[in-house]
Amino acid sequence: MKSAKISLRGMVYASMFAALTAVGAYITIPLQLVPITLQTLFTNLAGALLGGYLGALSQLVYVLLGIMGLPVFAGGKAGLGVLLGPTGGYLVGFIAGTYFMGKMIERREQAGFGWIVLALGVGHVVIYGLGALQLSVVAHLSAAKALAVGVLPFLPGDILKILVAAFLTLKLRELIKL
Amino acid sequence: MFTGVTIGQYVPVESVIHNLDPRTKLLLTLIAMVAVLAAGSGWGLVLVTGCIAILVFLTRVPWLLYFRGMKPLFILVALNFLIQLFMVPGEPLLQWRLVTITRQGLTLALVMTARLVLLFIIAQLLTFTTSPVSLIDGIERLLSPLRRLGVPAHELAMVMSIALRFIPVFYEESEKIVKAQVSRGADFESGNLITRARNLSSVLVPLFIKALRRADDLALAMEVRCYAGGGGRTRLRELRMREADYLFLAGALLAAVGVRLAGMHL
Repeated sequence: MKSAKISLRGMVYASMFAALTAVGAYITIPLQLVPITLQTLFTNLAGALLGGYLGALSQLVYVLLGIMGLPVFAGGKAGLGVLLGPTGGYLVGFIAGTYFMGKMIERREQAGFGWIVLALGVGHVVIYGLGALQLSVVAHLSAAKALAVGVLPFLPGDILKILVAAFLTLKLRELIKL
Repeated sequence: MFTGVTIGQYVPVESVIHNLDPRTKLLLTLIAMVAVLAAGSGWGLVLVTGCIAILVFLTRVPWLLYFRGMKPLFILVALNFLIQLFMVPGEPLLQWRLVTITRQGLTLALVMTARLVLLFIIAQLLTFTTSPVSLIDGIERLLSPLRRLGVPAHELAMVMSIALRFIPVFYEESEKIVKAQVSRGADFESGNLITRARNLSSVLVPLFIKALRRADDLALAMEVRCYAGGGGRTRLRELRMREADYLFLAGALLAAVGVRLAGMHL
């Protein structure tokens, strides 16, 4: 992993996605069960447009800013308590998941719609896995219950967001030159 | 909602702790967390609680604030307490129908709860007394020895600073775009999932394009000013370790050793 040299443009774009992820947590579509936020849409786009390393960096910075006390987590929360609390696994999942998304998409020269959707899906498996794991450990839920509470309600919204993100990736990737 | 975003949880009052170098405060946080975990369950825990209480007092931040931020953790703490209280076998202390509370259970429940609350208060101590900007400075300086190992300390700090600057700008931008689209008849509150998603993209795409333009402008501006990474850059605010910093660090180390000894032998 060549980590020592990050291009200036890459740094600025990583900042941009960290900030967009933070702002996305505030933009919601009200739905019956769980409101859909734009947050993970930007997580998807970060992985797909920046690649694994920078995408994960952008999400790491987002999580660090939240830990430092900025109200950027879902619902305007902040602080180390959120990371250690029941939903903290998703935050770690954002970092790891974005890395997987980006690495998978980097494997193809010009990834098509299907490959992008697949990569984002794999990333979500990582996010859900870590999220549900921490949920079940911290809240003392069984694995099945953690999946029912922590994964199922988000599935329709996330599938939709994956499709939108893949579509946007095809449109926007010409604009991002790292 | 976002007016205070760039200060976050920071409580701007004058205190000894506020005036410490951010590096000192980061190290203090680390030492304190290790001390809590190493304190054992007897006098060590009492001692470490006392030390943290002194720090909390020195910050001159209203102490109710420390507990207000604990809400997301409350269920976790309560659940942990109850589980330890009822599930640990041992010498029965109280028996009522099917419920038995054991001495071991009670001790363990109290110790675990105390540890969680203390760790949380330590984290709050740092964010209450240090502004995000100086925290980022501190993180960069503390990580910079790791540069040789490939940790991009300067880059990480720079990305954090820029993101910090971008958040309120993008938030304002997104608010403007939502209002502009609503005034043109956009409807975000009705329709099925697909229509809503389509309507939302009328916010998403302009927001993204605007953000991208800002980012490009910034990158260009930095290039024009010959930005070339961390090496050889000078700063507006130099971090300086003062006597108080060394005093606090030495005190914290001594206290941590004391806590460990008390935890082992008392």
